[in-house]
Amino acid sequence: MAWFNSHLLTNVVFFPLLWAGLGFLIPVGKQHEAGFIKFWTFVGTVITFMFSVVLYIQFDPNVFEFQFIEFVPWIAEIGVSYHFGIDGISLWLILLTTFLSPIVILSSFSAIGHRLREYYFLLLVLESGMLGAFVSLDLFLFYVFWEVMLVPMYFLIGIWGGKERIYAALKFFLFTVVGSLLMLVAIFYLAYLHKIQFGVYSTSILDLYRVRTLANGILSPQALLFLAFALAFAVKVPMFPLHTWLPDAHVQAPTAGSVILAGVLLKMGGYGFIRFAFPLFPEAVRIFQGAFLILGTTAVLYGAWVSMVQPDIKKLVAYSSVSHMGFVIIGLFSLNSISVTGSIYQMLNHGISTGGLFLLVGILYERRHTREIKDFGGITRVMPLFSVAFMITALSSIALPGTNGFIGEFLILLGTWKEHSILAGVSALCVIFGAIYMLWAFQRMMFGPIKNKENETLKDLNFREIVVIVPIIICIFFMGIFPNFFFNKMNASVQKFLSQAGESSTIVYKSIPPQEVKRAQQ
Amino acid sequence: MNMANMMSFIKPELLVFNDLILKSSAPYLWVLLGIVFAIILSVLNKINKKWFVFIFMLIFACLGVRSAFRLMNEPAVLLFNQMLISDSFGSFFNILFLGSAIITALSSFRYLDKQEIQHPEYYILLLLSSLGMMLMASALDLIVLFIALEIMSLAVYVLVGFRRHDRKSNEAALKYFILGSVASVMFLYGAALLYGVTATTQIREILKHVQTSQGAMSPLFVVGVGLILFGFLFKVACVPLHMWMPDVYEGAPTPITGFMTAGLKAAAFAAFIRVFTTLGYGTALSAQLQNHFHDLLWVFAVATMVVGNLVALLQTNLKRMLAYSSIAHSGYLLVGILSGCLNQEGYAPLLVYLMAYVVMNLGAFAVLSFLASRDDTGLSLYDLSGLSKRHPVFSFCLAVFLFSMAGLPPTVGFVGKYWLFYSAVQAGEISLVVISVLCSAVSVYYYLRVLVYVYMQDEVSSFGEQRSLSIFYHFAVGLMVICTLQWGLMPSSLLQIAKKVVMSF
Repeated sequence: MAWFNSHLLTNVVFFPLLWAGLGFLIPVGKQHEAGFIKFWTFVGTVITFMFSVVLYIQFDPNVFEFQFIEFVPWIAEIGVSYHFGIDGISLWLILLTTFLSPIVILSSFSAIGHRLREYYFLLLVLESGMLGAFVSLDLFLFYVFWEVMLVPMYFLIGIWGGKERIYAALKFFLFTVVGSLLMLVAIFYLAYLHKIQFGVYSTSILDLYRVRTLANGILSPQALLFLAFALAFAVKVPMFPLHTWLPDAHVQAPTAGSVILAGVLLKMGGYGFIRFAFPLFPEAVRIFQGAFLILGTTAVLYGAWVSMVQPDIKKLVAYSSVSHMGFVIIGLFSLNSISVTGSIYQMLNHGISTGGLFLLVGILYERRHTREIKDFGGITRVMPLFSVAFMITALSSIALPGTNGFIGEFLILLGTWKEHSILAGVSALCVIFGAIYMLWAFQRMMFGPIKNKENETLKDLNFREIVVIVPIIICIFFMGIFPNFFFNKMNASVQKFLSQAGESSTIVYKSIPPQEVKRAQQ
Repeated sequence: MNMANMMSFIKPELLVFNDLILKSSAPYLWVLLGIVFAIILSVLNKINKKWFVFIFMLIFACLGVRSAFRLMNEPAVLLFNQMLISDSFGSFFNILFLGSAIITALSSFRYLDKQEIQHPEYYILLLLSSLGMMLMASALDLIVLFIALEIMSLAVYVLVGFRRHDRKSNEAALKYFILGSVASVMFLYGAALLYGVTATTQIREILKHVQTSQGAMSPLFVVGVGLILFGFLFKVACVPLHMWMPDVYEGAPTPITGFMTAGLKAAAFAAFIRVFTTLGYGTALSAQLQNHFHDLLWVFAVATMVVGNLVALLQTNLKRMLAYSSIAHSGYLLVGILSGCLNQEGYAPLLVYLMAYVVMNLGAFAVLSFLASRDDTGLSLYDLSGLSKRHPVFSFCLAVFLFSMAGLPPTVGFVGKYWLFYSAVQAGEISLVVISVLCSAVSVYYYLRVLVYVYMQDEVSSFGEQRSLSIFYHFAVGLMVICTLQWGLMPSSLLQIAKKVVMSF
């Protein structure tokens, strides 16, 4: 037990992997195999979630430094160490991951019909990879998890995906790898600079934060290093011109894959900016601030417009992700405590609400084997529970007050308004577009007469599907009504982040003033 | 040097074997003994030749590995009138060569049965070419180096043409023989020119000569060194000296292709490092030489990486694809050569990458030898469709090797690439590293495409033929997978060994 407590992060990260390995090895007769492996994997993810709740309980919100630090030298020859630790930002992303994992496992019980063992094995490996990336404080280790994550996702899309699955899987893999390989070169150079400036090899970011690099213009070393990191993270976010892998991957992936992709993998990009790109290269962030803000706004606009014309509901949700993640970029690059908090909150929201939408689309797809909006209509009459769940999730995605989406987008716009009022104004307009495409699609699918005969016999949500969707809906309202529950553990880390990355705003809030939060809630 | 001098140079006491010499030359002697025994066994009629020769070969190769392991920590010893040196650098490579020979033999045994070319000469030639490689990595004299090169090459020429009923194999052997001879001649001519300038063939003597006399860096000397360089670059198949390679790799028996990608390339790089560091490449001495060759090698490295990776994209035969990818890997290794002399790790990252490359390639070719049907067909990407359902374990292993070649963690390929490129950045070769990294991004595509067929395509019914599984395949593939993952997760020991080996220089 003492070991468990002192190595909490190791336990959280590697438990799914260990559990997956055991599950793969335990021999079960053919007739019980499917049941066993589903049950086994579900239990594993629930246990991981409990571990992460222990993490939440033991987390001290008043500490600025990283917590639960684990440090063991790993490859001393090149200064690589096994270095884990979390702060208030990664804590929530870990909880998001462990929260979504049992849900997606439960959601794929009936959707996946072949190669069950491999499927659930890969999902657990993926969970380990994602958690590892969120807790790594060593660039080498982070890179290892970052790449390891791709492999199960590649197979999940490629084996259990839709018609164009192979194209989508390759595209997803190649986009991410090309982006991250340049980051690898930047890591080399950064570690080399550390070696020059401090005389020892190290890739631990706590050491690398101290490295000073020249930043005088867009071709200076720091600017180039920042761009190399930013490229890797921008592909993942995805930022506007680099987003083209996302609709393909989302649409072709099985439901669980889409949920994990939207819920967690996209957050990896935002997290990378927060943990690595900003604190390592604060001056370079200033140089590119304008460009990234404009790209972010473009993504918001573009994502919303393209969503409007999608005939395929899953593609619509995928493009709405581009729009929502554009908000995250705007918030981060505005660099003040309100907008950054909003960005982090928006990342969590997006994981919950877009994840929820993908789950619901998946449920519908299982029944009808089509995702074309025009094939539906009048679903409310046959699937009332489903329609309510869809309504709530869609409203959260639109950012209706009272739901989680509102808090995030409001804080981002509020923070951005102070300095970049035009961009904030444009982005605010996009919220309206968001309402248009979401509500229009909802109307076409759910209301009106039942045009299609096949829709008359659709069954409403069964018990398992209700269990899948209810936690999401609870989260939507909880996050929309009690944001301070989340901000409390986040504030210290956000302050530390801003002191490292350098606030741009002249008005410095120590934390979000209560009246702003209250206004956000109304 | 006149004849009388020459005579006085050869001292009778040098021809005596004392304990130290015996101990230091043990790996070579074991292998030699193995070759002799195997030849004797192969002419006896009363025994089951295939098993006896196979097992003898394995036993003696293992004995060679064991004595090489023992020599790892010993100080360097000059052997046979300074013609050979036994140091940990040589021992490291001896282990690598004999290891590849063992793995190749293991993956060949059933393969040869399947192709109906199970002859005992195969294992003898395998051992013989390993002996040539071992001598190449330890030679300190250009003549010995040339002889070693020929021992290795001649044995491999025969092995390439071992499927003698197949015209592809014949073509490959002939092509390789003719072009390989050109490379050997280039090397020999270069050695002759160096002898002309310095009046010695001993590499260290050449260095001394260059250090002492001012005019030594004459055009003749540079041309001589250049020709030797070309000889090596031919052997490692650098663009534009790579034309022989894809056909040879495709025509050769599959395990031999693996052996060539691993052993041959490692031998060429070992000799390369040995000769050029001893000639003063990378030390302040021959900055002039270095500047000449730096630019040349830079161009070679970039061309090799770019052409190798781009052409590999178009291949539909797995063997041919791996041949081009092996060209690309030569390019990465040249990056190591370029940066080895400019950073403090020296050639250690190169050795680690070489080790990684050998391990993953041997593993991949062991899987391929298992998959190859009669006449070496059945290795196109299409034939691999749905392989994961027929052979889940081998498919998994192939995936591990391919991910390792693509340089993805947590495999030894990633660690190798990481250290190699990291050291290149330290040597100031940033643009080269950016190019290499982009090239390896390209390579990810064709490695993954194989996995698309293996895992994501549906099975093709007509390929349900029974493959002869044997414990040897399992052993070879299993060992390589363990090495790939073990060194990928815990690379410290490998890095330390590489560092120590380079220190011994």
